[in-house]
Amino acid sequence: MKTLNPILQIAGDAGGGQLLRSSLSLALVTGQTFRMTNIRGKRPKPGLMRQHLTCVKAAAEVGDAAVDGAELGSTELVFRPGKIKGGDYNFAIGSGGSTTLVLQTLLPALLHAEAASTLRIEGGTHNPMAPPFEFIDQCFLPVIQSMGVKTSVTLERHGFMQAGGGVLKADIQPIQKWKKLKLTERGEPVETFGRVLHAHLHRDIAQREITTAASVLEWQEDKIELRYANESAGPGNALLLGARFANVCEISTGIAQMGKSAESVATGAAKGLHRYLSSSAPVGVHLADQLLLPMALAQGGVFHTHAISDHTETNMTLIQQFLPVKFTVTEVERGVKAVTCRDVDGR
Amino acid sequence: MKPIVTFGFLGTSLDRAFGPERWSKWRPTVSMCQHEDLLISRLELLVDPKFADMARGVVADIAQVSPETEVVMHDFPLKDAWDFQEVYEALYDFVSDYDFEPEKKDYLIHLTTGTHVAQICWFLLNEAQFIPARLLQTGPARHDSRDATSAGRYEIIDLDLSKYDRLATRFAQEQERTLDFLKSGIATKSKGFNKLIEQIEIVAVNSKAPILITGPTGAGKSMLAGRIYDLRKARAGLTGRFVEVNCATLRGDQAMSALFGHKRGSFTGAQADRPGLLKEADKGLIFLDEIGELGLDEQAMLLRALEDKTFLPLGSDKAVQSDFQLIAGTNRDLRVQVAEGKFRDDLLARINLWTFALPGLAERREDIAANLDFELERFSKAHRKQVRMNKEAREAFLKFARSPEAKWSANFRDLNAAVTRMATLAPKGRITVECVTSEVARLQESWCDVGGRLSGDLPAVLGDKQRADIDPFDVVQLEFVIRVCKESKTLSDAGRKLFAVSRAKRTVTNDADRLKKYLARFDLKWDDVK
Repeated sequence: MKTLNPILQIAGDAGGGQLLRSSLSLALVTGQTFRMTNIRGKRPKPGLMRQHLTCVKAAAEVGDAAVDGAELGSTELVFRPGKIKGGDYNFAIGSGGSTTLVLQTLLPALLHAEAASTLRIEGGTHNPMAPPFEFIDQCFLPVIQSMGVKTSVTLERHGFMQAGGGVLKADIQPIQKWKKLKLTERGEPVETFGRVLHAHLHRDIAQREITTAASVLEWQEDKIELRYANESAGPGNALLLGARFANVCEISTGIAQMGKSAESVATGAAKGLHRYLSSSAPVGVHLADQLLLPMALAQGGVFHTHAISDHTETNMTLIQQFLPVKFTVTEVERGVKAVTCRDVDGR
Repeated sequence: MKPIVTFGFLGTSLDRAFGPERWSKWRPTVSMCQHEDLLISRLELLVDPKFADMARGVVADIAQVSPETEVVMHDFPLKDAWDFQEVYEALYDFVSDYDFEPEKKDYLIHLTTGTHVAQICWFLLNEAQFIPARLLQTGPARHDSRDATSAGRYEIIDLDLSKYDRLATRFAQEQERTLDFLKSGIATKSKGFNKLIEQIEIVAVNSKAPILITGPTGAGKSMLAGRIYDLRKARAGLTGRFVEVNCATLRGDQAMSALFGHKRGSFTGAQADRPGLLKEADKGLIFLDEIGELGLDEQAMLLRALEDKTFLPLGSDKAVQSDFQLIAGTNRDLRVQVAEGKFRDDLLARINLWTFALPGLAERREDIAANLDFELERFSKAHRKQVRMNKEAREAFLKFARSPEAKWSANFRDLNAAVTRMATLAPKGRITVECVTSEVARLQESWCDVGGRLSGDLPAVLGDKQRADIDPFDVVQLEFVIRVCKESKTLSDAGRKLFAVSRAKRTVTNDADRLKKYLARFDLKWDDVK
């Protein structure tokens, strides 16, 4: 990949932790040094928090990078990537921080390493504000596997916020050649499904979630399975509601949190799936965001989605700063948008 | 950012919880390691060996939620965790052995765990700067908080009060007020004087020891002593009265009795018991101005009274107690007095712990404007009569007042007198240029008028003893000669001015020689008067 600038300047207040993680991924695969200023500038507590610091350090380790400003509370970071090293890695995240976000940050880099890698990440596997393990396994990976990626993930132990202790493992093979993405149709419906993961909490919580979700989605309650995750160190609860089609799978998630009622957790998750099902676009809001980088690395592609979030907008802008690609969004029909990625060099 | 090292006790009840539910509970030692914005690199955990098992569980949980934290357990057996002496001693020993590296690490003391006695000991050790740390206070999340977690909340408290903007501003304002107060609200500009007042403020509030104020007559010693009293009364818990005495007015038996009191009939005229001024100043403050004038007997009594807080009234065999604070004033060099045997060196040693030299007005010419306003205001208040000075008059007065011509030999007394005269004579309460012109003349005349009272130069050149041997007749002439000498560059130059008339009639001029001989009559050389 060609170098665009000696140091790429990124204004951190345009986004939050995701902007930082995407920048780390992009820097690793492109070899491009970046300086991010005003990191998480618009958040109540700006600067790097521990979970971000963990990501920065993991990225630095994988990419043999030199880093300035990797300190708690730091609002400026310079990241100079070196050569990506495949291999066996073990990362532990404090306070049950999300393992899937660390995986997402490192995966593109390790796909571009010369050797195969295994990742063992300890922390939370079902966190608020992060994709749960099942989303990675059933929604994200199958799509990029169709683009030539050979990676699998396993959940060794559930981990929830606060206690953590969950373990996610990933086997990553270097990619031979990226295939361009084309995901514009859902294909035939296969199934809808629901599951409550429940650990060390009163059963009543799970039951209330099931009742609420079933009523919003007009499902039978027994369609939602209750699965105990009692090997988890601490208490926790996650509601996963999904729909599988021939070409794609979507999962909408609710994570129980202190101070949030079981009903509101379930309503949020159910409404998420309901929104997806009322459109015909194959790619949901979260998946859309996650597919941008693989599509750019494949130097082109297209997918249809039902809505473009601010996250996705920010992410497209960021990717265009690192890679010679151009994203365009066009409305195909009411409630369906096509996101197209083209190589600006015309390849 | 430096890595954070935290000290804390294992909370034998707050940190106690078992089973998976423990993660839903706020446990101070575990929870403080779970904050997204606080990274504790090392935890020095003080553990009573009785609770070692529980501690190991806590350490394992910390390893899970905070892999970045290294926990070091310290055996910390206490027979009675509520025994202040034992806990303080044990913590003191621990802290003394600990190798602090404040330039490399940030230290926190976790205050939430341990007995209240332990908290007090932590606090005291921190306050006394045995531990270069800030205090970490943790607590469970408030129930109504939106993103409540079992990590709860924390605050870091720095006992260095100067680091808190609001507090620092308040202290600065408070100090400003105090300084202003000591200066009687006069906005002085003299750097030396302002510095002096700042030092006096610190001593006045923080010390009960005697203060010695030196400086020429009229420099404001008495006013300053009064202000220090007011300040101590307001800020340092002084409850008694302010007693002011000029020692020059005390003579003989009267001196003893005035200061220390007497029993009825102890001397002729002692018709009733008298408590004495020192007794009157009990729990208060006595200002002894011109302390150099005090007789040796009184000095001895005063020294005892200062050291023991007791003294014997005249004619009494029963000691009287008085807890008084002392400010002494002098315009003399007490060291010279000691050398001459007129002042006890042990008393001087006792009173000159804090010595402040008040400069005369002539050395603070930049402050004359502010003091002029102050005096005008004071006159207006005292006489209930508004007095103003027009701009030209004010400028004319200040021009003279700041010039070397103005000697201000009686310092603020001169200024006060000048303002009083001008204000009294001012037509319709307006001081005009004419008023100033005539006042300037009066001042010049008063500084030249040396009959009996000498202005500044002579005592400086001659010792007190020498001066006593000169007839008033000669004093006037000598002072004029010395003044001319001081204004002249060379002996010949001074001679030319002094013998200006007679030299014109001479064929051979020998002014320098004539002046030299004149000075020699008083044992003076050119270098002495230059």
